[in-house]
Amino acid sequence: MEEANKNMTASEQRTGDAGTTGGAAGPTQRDTRNTGPGRLLIAVYAVFALSATARAGYQILTKFSEAPFAYVLSAFAAAVYIVATISLAKAGRTWFKVSVTAVLVELIGVLVVGALSLFDAANFPHETVWSLFGRGYGFIPLLLPILGLIWLYRRRPARKQA
Amino acid sequence: MDGYFYIILVVGLVSSLLCAGAGILKKAPNDATILSVAAVEVSLLVYLVGSIVRVATGERIAGEPWEFWGYLATALLLPVGAVYWAILERTRWSNFVLAAVGVTALVMAARMNQIWY
Repeated sequence: MEEANKNMTASEQRTGDAGTTGGAAGPTQRDTRNTGPGRLLIAVYAVFALSATARAGYQILTKFSEAPFAYVLSAFAAAVYIVATISLAKAGRTWFKVSVTAVLVELIGVLVVGALSLFDAANFPHETVWSLFGRGYGFIPLLLPILGLIWLYRRRPARKQA
Repeated sequence: MDGYFYIILVVGLVSSLLCAGAGILKKAPNDATILSVAAVEVSLLVYLVGSIVRVATGERIAGEPWEFWGYLATALLLPVGAVYWAILERTRWSNFVLAAVGVTALVMAARMNQIWY
């Protein structure tokens, strides 16, 4: 599949969005990230978007006053996962940039929140997805942005032709 | 942990191992992997019917009832969504997507058990 992409002619690259809307296995353009391993990545991001949103919603609706900062952070993490899921599934240069931004924010978030929850446990007693580098979720929150960046680098859009 | 959890534990693990194995062998989703995910859906439906019967016969959920039903409803959507996502592009990678369903259902069933008791 990836060999096929590399061997595409220029005319095939201009065929547009067929690969994203049709969804058939045919590699019609290079500037997508929703095929092959990308599908697994998007699926895992979707599960995290769903569970983080549900968890943040539950925390904010039932016990927001206990730890407003932690729960706002939960909601922020949920939003980042939603943006990452959608942007990875979309084709094109703009969505690529949105993906890179979302995945970088996610990586910084999990590192900063993970470190703070470890060294300043007194101020971070309440759980978020990113607490303790995502230990509550099998460290997948730490692994996901790294795999995401590798995937985005491998499928970066081709340089604009002058 | 009750019987419903152990059903999902066994079915989910078998399904995940089967799908991941098929993915490692570079196979596209086939009847075996898709049916194993369907089996996860069936075991979740058994959990749903069993839970409705238990509540109807007067048993009480210890935790938040709407949290329990929310988990169950979400878990029921996962196999459907994953199969849809997998058959749109039938490559080996879609088998890994299917493999994620079993373990996710397993984790969610464990959480549902915690809420119930």
